[in-house]
Amino acid sequence: MADTLQEPKTEVRLDVPWNVVVHNDPVNLMSYVTLVFQKVFGFSRAKAQHHMLEVHCQGKSIVWSGLRERAEFYVQQLHGYLLLATIEQSE
Amino acid sequence: MMVIRQRTGSAIEFAEIEPLEQELLWQIVSVFEAPPDPSVEDRLFSAPANETETEFLSDWSDYVQPELRRLFLSARTLVKEDLGALQQGKGRRSRLKFPVEHGEAWLNTLNQARLALAARFHFTEAELSSHKLPRAFTKRDLVLVQINFYAAIQERIIDILEAQA
Repeated sequence: MADTLQEPKTEVRLDVPWNVVVHNDPVNLMSYVTLVFQKVFGFSRAKAQHHMLEVHCQGKSIVWSGLRERAEFYVQQLHGYLLLATIEQSE
Repeated sequence: MMVIRQRTGSAIEFAEIEPLEQELLWQIVSVFEAPPDPSVEDRLFSAPANETETEFLSDWSDYVQPELRRLFLSARTLVKEDLGALQQGKGRRSRLKFPVEHGEAWLNTLNQARLALAARFHFTEAELSSHKLPRAFTKRDLVLVQINFYAAIQERIIDILEAQA
């Protein structure tokens, strides 16, 4: 009987994007968070305010999704502005 | 009462600074001369991922955190230099002028100071957003005034930077 190749057990999910998540913080000002989103992601003021309000009202907002390396870069930028930001893989 | 305005020649000016406000301005940088506090450290250098991301967290601690530390120190140093130009005006009020390009460093340093004070004194969200006047001025009440004073400066600098954009 010929040997058969086994399916690899580890699943590498290259297609699943990484999220940059910003979490609520009672100290950072709403205007400051809006300004940071505009600077880091180049968002319009309206889009930046939308995400800021999501953070404020819902506790967090996914502000960017995509390749892991880029997500890490954005998280680093946000930490430079002292925002609470994490990377998380999409569900 | 202190006035913050943009001057021609791309400068930000704090004018008519009262002695108490001057003292609070000096404390923006002296907040960081206090003994190290783990809760302040945890807030200024928060985790960038959950604990399952062990390799990423280790790399972050080795390479990114020192960079952030340098960035924060650099902003504080610039603000400290600007504060060195505080000038005594007529009477008891003083003024301060610095280039508008320093605005981001000021925002960053004010944020560091507010976050550090809020972490050190364990302020709750309700306390931070309360506008009630305290019945007695404890050290904690005064720190809350300090945090709100820095927030007001941040708001005004943001207005100026946005008007420039």
